Amino acid sequence: MKVSRRDLLVWSAGAAAGLMVTPVPWRVLDDVSIWSQNWPWIPQPARGPVDVKQSACTLCPKGCGLRVRVAGGFLVGVAGVASHPVTRGALCPLAFGAHQLNWHPQRLRTVLHRRSVSTWNAAQMAFTKACSEGPVVVIDGYPGRAASQVLESFAKNRRGEYRVVLSAETRALAPYERWTGVPAALLGYDVENAGTIVSFGAPLLDGWGAPGHFTRLWADRAAGMNDPQLRLIQVEPTLSRTASRAWQWVPVRNGSEAVLAAGIAGVLLEEHLVSARGPKPTLSLTAAGEQTGLGIDAIRGLARTIVARPPVVAIANDDSPEVAALNVVLGAVGARGGIVRRSRENKSYLAADTPISSARAVVIDSSVPWDFAPKTDAEVFRFAAWDGGSGSADWLLPAPGFLEEATDVPAAPELAVQSFALAPALTKAQHEVRSAALFLSGIDSALPTAEEIIHARCQQIFQSRVGMLCSREQTPVSRFAASQKLEEQLWAGAVWVGEPVGPPNLRCELKEWPTPSTSTRGEGWSSSWTAPVLPPLASKLVEESGLRQRAEGRLA
Amino acid sequence: MRRSLLVFGLGVMVAMLAGWVVFPRALYMRKPQPLEFRHKTHAEKSGLADCNECHALRDDGTFAGLPAMEKCAGCHAERIGETKAEATLVNNYIKQGHETPWQVYAQQPPNVWFSHSIHLKRAGLKCEDCHANYGASDQVKVYEVNRISGYSRDIWGHSISRLHRAPHDGMKMSDCEDCHRQHNADVGCLGCHK
Amino acid sequence: MSARYGMVIDLDRCTGCGSCMVACAAENNVPALPQATTRTGLTPMLVRRVSNERDGAERREVFIPILCMHCERETPCVSVCPQQAVEVDKATGIVMQMPQRCLGCRYCMTACAYHARYFNWRDPAWPAGMEKSLNPAVAVRMRGVVEKCNFCHGRLHAAKEKAAAASKREIDPADYVPACVEACPTGAIRFGNLADTGDPVSHEARSPYAFRLLARLGTEPKVYYKSKEAWVRQLAESVSGRETEASREMKHV
Repeated sequence: MKVSRRDLLVWSAGAAAGLMVTPVPWRVLDDVSIWSQNWPWIPQPARGPVDVKQSACTLCPKGCGLRVRVAGGFLVGVAGVASHPVTRGALCPLAFGAHQLNWHPQRLRTVLHRRSVSTWNAAQMAFTKACSEGPVVVIDGYPGRAASQVLESFAKNRRGEYRVVLSAETRALAPYERWTGVPAALLGYDVENAGTIVSFGAPLLDGWGAPGHFTRLWADRAAGMNDPQLRLIQVEPTLSRTASRAWQWVPVRNGSEAVLAAGIAGVLLEEHLVSARGPKPTLSLTAAGEQTGLGIDAIRGLARTIVARPPVVAIANDDSPEVAALNVVLGAVGARGGIVRRSRENKSYLAADTPISSARAVVIDSSVPWDFAPKTDAEVFRFAAWDGGSGSADWLLPAPGFLEEATDVPAAPELAVQSFALAPALTKAQHEVRSAALFLSGIDSALPTAEEIIHARCQQIFQSRVGMLCSREQTPVSRFAASQKLEEQLWAGAVWVGEPVGPPNLRCELKEWPTPSTSTRGEGWSSSWTAPVLPPLASKLVEESGLRQRAEGRLA
Repeated sequence: MRRSLLVFGLGVMVAMLAGWVVFPRALYMRKPQPLEFRHKTHAEKSGLADCNECHALRDDGTFAGLPAMEKCAGCHAERIGETKAEATLVNNYIKQGHETPWQVYAQQPPNVWFSHSIHLKRAGLKCEDCHANYGASDQVKVYEVNRISGYSRDIWGHSISRLHRAPHDGMKMSDCEDCHRQHNADVGCLGCHK
Repeated sequence: MSARYGMVIDLDRCTGCGSCMVACAAENNVPALPQATTRTGLTPMLVRRVSNERDGAERREVFIPILCMHCERETPCVSVCPQQAVEVDKATGIVMQMPQRCLGCRYCMTACAYHARYFNWRDPAWPAGMEKSLNPAVAVRMRGVVEKCNFCHGRLHAAKEKAAAASKREIDPADYVPACVEACPTGAIRFGNLADTGDPVSHEARSPYAFRLLARLGTEPKVYYKSKEAWVRQLAESVSGRETEASREMKHV
């Protein structure tokens, strides 16, 4: 039998008809539709249990409480802790994307020596050699931690120097340090008890202090109210976020904030609106009115408004002594609702930006902002979790990233009382990392470890019998029977809050109005962010919306 | 004409053969489980008669699914029996600290959300209603994977035609929908999808 | 459970920080799109900066978070979808978008008066390893589908499961908090059941200071806004909210 082309066609028709009554086309359609919705290149989340753990954010010195979802040992979600006594469940916009930071393409994964790959051994040898040849300067961006104590002890043991980078909120308190003798790092702002706050450009609602701290206070006492309990007066040349929500916006000319402070102080003293008798500003009210662009009447009106709801405090965005002098006139220094001392200790810090006279090596902790570059010829050993590019460090050493290392959490810089919390590590780095403190402990075995120091601090708190331990309830420390229980609760996310330092809180001596000076301008919270990269999801705020601008790798 | 009919018929027959006999076999590929786990042994000898002993609900309500290695290590940290299966478990997985790479029969695509809590506690279903009496089985069930979709044969069900299907044979979306419709439990798309 | 979930957003409290935007993107496995623009971005929660268009000391600004309004009446996106990829859930009032059903015609994006729907122009991609940080509660979409806010259905799932495990019939409202609500540092975004007279949100929605955007279109959105500032409420009456110079420049013409 010859098979013809027609046969083939007829056979095919039969096969096609037959196929229709088999499962083949229907199954293939069904299975292909499933296959086409499961492309292998589309990443899938992990399967398995998700645990919720508590820790604290260490990407800036505010130490906000975190509730983190962990799946398979990796971070899958971040939220605030509603019962946290300071942050009240709030976080900055960047923290919500921080769990992705550990995978950022710019994550530093190997030791780099002058930008070429090296090893931890080589770094250790180079550092040991450097230590034997001259003094070492250690720079810390997050002072007050147990790790900070390790860094400081190392520097002291080697007759080197320990310096710190202070946050903007603390730097603004520098003038008071000169007039009260109390170090700025031990001062705080008692905003909880203030009735009127005059902010000279400080971004109180946009990253000043720990995110939940002032914003919650303001939201509960002032937002949307015609006659709020807390009056926020924002002095600023442009309508910032804080200015747009403030009770009153005072639009001064750019750079004339200090002049306004002087003008207000003058009116307060002249019209006897305050009990203080001095110091009197040297600038005349007319000049103040002119330079600020507000006019004399406006300044008079403002001064009267300010004292209408005491206690009053002025908050500056920089270390401008004029605003600080205004606080002296207002009687806000050492008073309830003003600038207060939060600890009876006497610990002063050497600022990191003072010129380094002589050093053989400089160690920079990973908590120091990337754009901080010490002006020195010394060999720089910089610890960092993310590589910000360029930079002047000789050695770049991979440090633990977000929640990869247990640490303690000292009080946020603006708090009026002491606080203490613990932040356990919730994930592991995928490559070898060492913090500066661990590295130095390896060089000098006589140093205590951070764990030992943390343990000792918990015991100290227990023995002091002072303060409250805050988690879902608030328990006075005096009610704890054993230090171990206290420490356990701290590791589980409780926060210790100290008591206010009673009177006399501060003694302030200021005879003359300070001369105008060029002050270092603070940049608010975006300058507190220490990582040189932003979380990837920050693109939502900048590129994908017009909400914020990206300014030199930071967020504005 | 007759020849055409014959040829046509031949085509139909070949297609039917290919479709009903060859295709179901070729579509699936057998994949062995890492070891021969016997439910019956565990139920009878180890007092683990209840499914929840190993397949439990966690505190937050989520389902543990296949027990983690931790659970097995509770008894099998060291060898307690003589079988080859146990040797594999202890030597290759528990001692190495790896989770046993089970092939999951009921594995659904990642966008599916199925809550065991809701079905067990609110709907009052029993394990056997969807998983047959697997807990009493003597042997580990053969795992066959669909070569096209990548999912287990148990999702479509064993019968290629889906006629005369047992209630627990098949876990396609239409099977879920049938039961939901029967019990008047309309939850909407996002009720079951992530 | 027969609820009508909605929101009241207090504009007097919103400081425009953007925490809600980032928290939403993280919860919903939205990829970061560094090359995107305000037009091609994927922001299921988007905060807009709106001013009274005056300059100098007269200038006033307000921040308005925009998300899916979960319209109740003749929901425009539901009525145009050829795939029935979106529907109004009877039990919760949530307008549920199923990206897995969507065929990407984008008719719904045209229909939505609030521009609250976003298209996946590309397959989502994350740097190597970052997929380990994805939220397991929400499915990852592929390119070619539209997505929008679903009032964090992943969290609703978790709340339902928790309630079932504890043998409860109704979920505990404290367990169902969308990401944006949880993230807001001033508590400006409030979420709750508008049908429940015991829920404070249902009261706030009836406040004389509350309003809805484009209310006269009659879609009955369930996201309310609240402000004691009259200029803000008047602004809501306008057809297209006015925007600041900066954001206007960034938008396409």
